[in-house]
Amino acid sequence: MKNINWSKYSKPIILVAFCVILTILRPTTFPTVSNIANVLWSVSVIGIMVCGTIFVFLVGGIDLSIATLCGFSAVVVVEVIHMFGDTTMGVFVGILAAIGVGALAGCVHGLIITTFNIPAFLVTFATQSVFLGLSMVITNNKIVSCTAPAAFTAIGSMKILGFPLPIYFMIVIAVLSWFVLRKTVFGRWIYAVGGNPAASEISGINVKRATILCYVFSGMTTAIGGIVLASMTRQAMAATGSGYTNDVITAGVIGGVSLLGGVGTVPGAIFGAVLMGLLNNGLNLLSVPSTHAGLVKGLVIIIAVGFDAMQHRDQSRKKSGFAFFKKKNA
Amino acid sequence: MAENNVILEAKGIYKSFSGVSVLQDVHFSVDRGEVHALMGENGAGKSTLIKIITGVYSKDQGQIYWEGKPVEINNYQDCQKLGVACIYQELSVIPPLTVAQNVFLGREPRKAGKIIDYKKMNQMTQELIDKYEFPLKPTTVVDNLGIGQRQLIEILKGLSQNSKLLIMDEPTASLSGKEAEMLFKIINTLRKQGVSIIYISHRLEEVYMLSDRLTILRDGKNAALLEKHEIIPAKVIETMIGKVVDESSGSKKMLQSKGGDVRLDVRGLTDKTDRFRNISFQVHKGEILGFGGLIGAGRTELVRAIYGIDKPISGEVYLDGEKMVNPSPKKSIDMGIGFVPEDRRNHGFIPLLSTTKNVALTNYDILKKNGLAVSDKDELDMSKRAIQAIDIRPSDPDKQVGVMSGGNQQKVVLGKWLMRDLRLLIVDEPTAGIDVGAKDEIYSILEDLASKGVAVIVVTSDLQELLRVSHRILVMRKGDIVKEFKNEVVTQSMVLSAGQGVTEDKEAAE
Repeated sequence: MKNINWSKYSKPIILVAFCVILTILRPTTFPTVSNIANVLWSVSVIGIMVCGTIFVFLVGGIDLSIATLCGFSAVVVVEVIHMFGDTTMGVFVGILAAIGVGALAGCVHGLIITTFNIPAFLVTFATQSVFLGLSMVITNNKIVSCTAPAAFTAIGSMKILGFPLPIYFMIVIAVLSWFVLRKTVFGRWIYAVGGNPAASEISGINVKRATILCYVFSGMTTAIGGIVLASMTRQAMAATGSGYTNDVITAGVIGGVSLLGGVGTVPGAIFGAVLMGLLNNGLNLLSVPSTHAGLVKGLVIIIAVGFDAMQHRDQSRKKSGFAFFKKKNA
Repeated sequence: MAENNVILEAKGIYKSFSGVSVLQDVHFSVDRGEVHALMGENGAGKSTLIKIITGVYSKDQGQIYWEGKPVEINNYQDCQKLGVACIYQELSVIPPLTVAQNVFLGREPRKAGKIIDYKKMNQMTQELIDKYEFPLKPTTVVDNLGIGQRQLIEILKGLSQNSKLLIMDEPTASLSGKEAEMLFKIINTLRKQGVSIIYISHRLEEVYMLSDRLTILRDGKNAALLEKHEIIPAKVIETMIGKVVDESSGSKKMLQSKGGDVRLDVRGLTDKTDRFRNISFQVHKGEILGFGGLIGAGRTELVRAIYGIDKPISGEVYLDGEKMVNPSPKKSIDMGIGFVPEDRRNHGFIPLLSTTKNVALTNYDILKKNGLAVSDKDELDMSKRAIQAIDIRPSDPDKQVGVMSGGNQQKVVLGKWLMRDLRLLIVDEPTAGIDVGAKDEIYSILEDLASKGVAVIVVTSDLQELLRVSHRILVMRKGDIVKEFKNEVVTQSMVLSAGQGVTEDKEAAE
């Protein structure tokens, strides 16, 4: 007695339905290559970042510093390029430096969270302010523009086969994340740790190390997002990336990633990002005033989360978190 | 018995979940002042029936009568109003409050309109305590009480609301022998005072001892209703599982040391927080070593330290003569040690993941890889082998372990260790809350492992189980090994006495 599990296909169905509706309503402006490329381009930064933060969500953590870390790495890459006199060499060093900063930030998050057993919410809430402050100090709270060299500006806007480069970055990072989560032993560990850290520890998994690595990877993708964003806008400032924390978390949640840990997939998260892009694009094409956009987005999130909660209502879950390391009385 | 003596009756109850029938035409009735036991294997429908009576689930068909009148119970409040109280396994008392505050939580007696009248509240609690002879004081802070006493508070809470029927689901599952005896005494007092009790337990000896009648469910149907004199162990087990199981040999056993060379050698292991001290013992190849004692004697802490979860302050552990340096679960697994933890739900498995992923969790070192990628096929094959080897049900390898019955969850936890070459397997309370059939299967797995030369350590508070599986028994008390039984006839009471620090003929001074 096996009935078709429709919930498995709900995401592609929603996506297609969305496209069909927009095609019917705006037959001339919506279904064009340039518009689709535009939608994907607009979500590529969110897409890149959510592929890393999904690791953090899966181990039951959260990262509230996404936006300001994104801004900080944008500032780093641009400043380094200027230091190297706007040379291609500078672009390479800048990219490495920014990704290094992201990895380091993630490492610090992971270490603080696992060593002192402080909730990720509080740690990243504090560091978001630190990153913002660092950006402000370095830039003197001014906009730093960067329009050269070509190697830098190409990152955000060069087109291959009609699609801008960031879309390809998103695809490559998504495939990489998907592979790690779905195929490797490390990926299996992440789901286990998110589902039950105490049982994972007893099963021989180094829960602390796995958790830290998740934050490191999340920091790296956030930094890549920052680099792409700086190139797209050809500038960097402390406010670069503001609002992205919400967008990335929203994309994840719409895509079925549980903020309680242990549940979620990369295709789901990318779906969430693309759906948000389509939503923005649709509201735009339908001439909905931007004053109403926030309202509509909020309602969509509530519906998505409510739908998810309904599906998972009967599933048992038991979490004990890092309490395992501290509490030992039987 | 006279018809008007029936307090609760459920007639012709049907219930199914998404097309799968769980209860079929089930009848169940409880008399006033009766202890009515409810037994059945996991999945037989006990919990579902109770949840229908307490309004957690709605029934598909059938009728419930309370004191002869048909009633509709749509939620727990409805059933509380009738006078039914459920004593939960997972206790809902609030530790920082006193006994009286917990008993009257949300229903505190008031004076001058709004202010809580603590004096009156304590007095009312004391009256209840006196009436039913509870070993409690109204003003004690719950934080300082053991789990057994906390359970009594739950019962007290029910009684304070004039409950006429108490439902106890595995009430002794986490109690020590002494605490359980305290509970039995209370149950007998309650019965004398006319309170009815539905008693659900897997522990047969408790049911024989306590119950007036016994309803047995099997596969969602009534299998038998036995009067007190009809409750015969062999018959009950047979009715429950539909096959004959050897459990009668559980009260007494001739121990015979087995096994070859020393496999595990523990020398002077001492805990940081003094929960066990200077523990030395050996386990041999092919030997099943049982650890007896009361809950809190330090057995769980000891085996956790041996496996490398907690760090001892001093002492050494040798496996096949090789010293374990800087122990961790990972190292233990690499060296061929398996561990089935006491707290299955919190430490045993990943509820959201499938049988396949849970079984594979400790075995990625031996599963095939294509480059960096784990072979999905090899992983699935292993899961199928585990399902077959220990009869995990449902046999669907993709089934989430969190939604399975306790017995099958434990099989998954155990199953992953059977997929690798073990030198030592440590199991802590391997069959707590598991039905008789699955218990027996787990015992044969342990025996089978031992016969293959694996050393097995079994920590258990179930005396019948301890005698059933052990080749040799060590008894711990307050962090020390106080007694060793080997090559001799040992009885449950001998083990119990040793665990409680009482010698057979005279009481040892504290």
